[in-house]
Amino acid sequence: MPTIQTLYDAILNGNAKAAKEITQTSLAAGANPQALVDDTMIPAMNEVGRRYEANEYFVPELLIAARAMKASLELIRPLLSARGAEPVGRVVIGTVQGDLHDIGKNLVGAMLEGAGFEVIDLGVDVSPEKFINAAREKKATLVALSALLTTTMHSMKAVMEKLKESGMRGNVKVMIGGAPVTQKYADEIGADGYSSNANAAVALARKLLAA
Amino acid sequence: MEHSPTPVTPNERWLAIFAGERPDRIPTDYWATDEVTSRLCRELGCRNVEELYTKLHIDGLVTIDPPRTDAHSPGDSTADLWGLRRKLVNYGEGAYDEFDNHPLAHMTAVEELDAYPWPSADDHDYDLFRDMIAHAPGHRMIRSGNFEPFLLYCALRGLEQAMMDLAAEPEFAGAALEHMFRYYFELAERTFEAGEGRIGVTYIAEDLGGQSALLMSLPQIRKFFLPNQKKMADLARSHGIHVFYHTDGAVRSVIPDLLDITGIELLNPIQWRCPGMEREALVRDFGDRLIFHGAMDNQQTLPFGTPDDVKKEVLENREIFSGARWVCAPCHNLQPVTTTENIVTMYETIHAHGAL
Repeated sequence: MPTIQTLYDAILNGNAKAAKEITQTSLAAGANPQALVDDTMIPAMNEVGRRYEANEYFVPELLIAARAMKASLELIRPLLSARGAEPVGRVVIGTVQGDLHDIGKNLVGAMLEGAGFEVIDLGVDVSPEKFINAAREKKATLVALSALLTTTMHSMKAVMEKLKESGMRGNVKVMIGGAPVTQKYADEIGADGYSSNANAAVALARKLLAA
Repeated sequence: MEHSPTPVTPNERWLAIFAGERPDRIPTDYWATDEVTSRLCRELGCRNVEELYTKLHIDGLVTIDPPRTDAHSPGDSTADLWGLRRKLVNYGEGAYDEFDNHPLAHMTAVEELDAYPWPSADDHDYDLFRDMIAHAPGHRMIRSGNFEPFLLYCALRGLEQAMMDLAAEPEFAGAALEHMFRYYFELAERTFEAGEGRIGVTYIAEDLGGQSALLMSLPQIRKFFLPNQKKMADLARSHGIHVFYHTDGAVRSVIPDLLDITGIELLNPIQWRCPGMEREALVRDFGDRLIFHGAMDNQQTLPFGTPDDVKKEVLENREIFSGARWVCAPCHNLQPVTTTENIVTMYETIHAHGAL
C-alpha cells in the first residue's frame, strides 16, 4: 500500500488508521474542522461513490472507505457540534420491521454521513412507530427505509400510513431502497423517492431536501 | 423428436440435459421455504414432498449428505459444527434463521484461526449415508455436497467485516477460507466415494452479485473463490458428478471465469431483471456451454404478479431459452408472500407447454 499523505487518500484507500492520524495532526495544527469535512471528506466520499457506480469499487472498498471516513468524523464531529454547525440534513434510517438485513442500509447511511448529513441509524427490525418517534424527536427531514425481503417490504407501506396518521407526513421526505424494492413500489406507497444504490441515494437525498 | 414409449423419469431428464441432449420436456425444479412447502402440501392435498413433486410435475432433486455424528461444534455444544448459534426471526407469515453470534469476529491473527475448533470430515457417518442413498427414490437425481465457504465466512466473521477482509485483511480471509476448504474437500471425497455412482449432482455456490453489480471485484473473486471452486468441481467431475452452481444477482461479468476456471455447466438462478442478466444475451453468449436454471423472477413476478403474469413469464422463458438448455424454477426460495395459485400456474404452464 502506498504511503498515505492526505486525508483524501486515506479515505479513498480505506485506511482508517491513517485517516485518524492525519485528522488528529491536522486538527492539532489548527485546521478548520468544517473545512476538513467540506473540502476533503465530502470530495473523497464523492469519489468513492463515483468509483462504486463505475464498477471500479465494490462493496469491500466502499465499506473500508466508509470506515476510514467514520474514524476521521468521530474526531471532527464533537468540534462541529461545539461550534453549533448544522448538518446538510438530518436522516432517520433503518431496516423495516421483520427484516434483519442491514448491509445496504449501512452503506446508504455511511454515504449520507460522508456527504455531510447527520444520520440517525435505528438499526434493524424497526417498527413504524419507532421511525416516526425518532423523526419527531430528532427533527429529521428525511426518513430512509430499507428491506431485503419480499416478505418484509410491505412494512414500508405501514410506515407511510403511520406517518400520515401522525400528521408528520408534511414534515419529512421518505426514500426507500433494497433488493426487491422498485420505483414502481415507491410510487404505489407514496414514498418520495427510490434509489437502487448507496451513491444514488446521496443524490436523491440532496434532491428531495432541495425540493 | 420421437417420444420414448416408457415414461421418462426426473433423473433421466436431468441426465439428458447435463449430457447436452434434449429431454422429452423442459425439466423443472423447486426451491421454497418450509412454510411454503407445508402450505402447498396442505392446500393441494399432498402428504409429503414426493407427492407434491408428482402432482406439480416437478423434477426435484433429493438432497442427501452424510449426517454428522455430533451435530455440534467441538468447542461449543450449544452451537452448530462451525460454532454458530441461530435465532428465529419472525416476519409475520413465517420465520427465518439468523446467526446469533460471529465466533471469528474478534480475531486479528492467522494463528488464532489455526487454533479454532474447525469441524472434521471424520465426524460424519458414511455408513448411514450409504444406507440413505440405497433407500433414495430411484427415479430422482441425488444431490450431495455443498460448497459455499464465503457465505459461511460471512456468518463466522460478520457480513461487513467479512467483506472488508477481502480488501483490507486478505491473508486472514484467505487462511480462514483455506481451513473451510480442507474440511469440505475431504468431506466431498469421502461422500462421493460412499455415493458409489448414485450421486448425480453437487452444489457449489457463492453469492457474487448484488442487485445491480458484482459485490466484490473480479480480482477478489479470482483470488479468494475460484481456485478452490475449481478443485471441488474437478473432484466432482472425477466421480462423474455434475456441478450445480448458484450465485445470486448481477453476475454477467464473472460468467466467463466461472466457465473457464471453475468449469461450471449449470448456472442458477438467472435473475434476469438485474442489469447484464438479460436472457437473450446470456443465451447468445453462453447458451452453447451453460444450462440456465431458474429465471422465474422471485422479486416481482412470482410474489406480486398475477397468475397471467406468471404464465406469460413461463412462455417468454420457453421462447427465449428455446435455443439453449433451461430448467424452469423460481429464482431462489419461494416465499410465503407468493400465492399458491401463482406457484401452481408456473408448474402447470410449463407442464402444458414444456414439451421439447
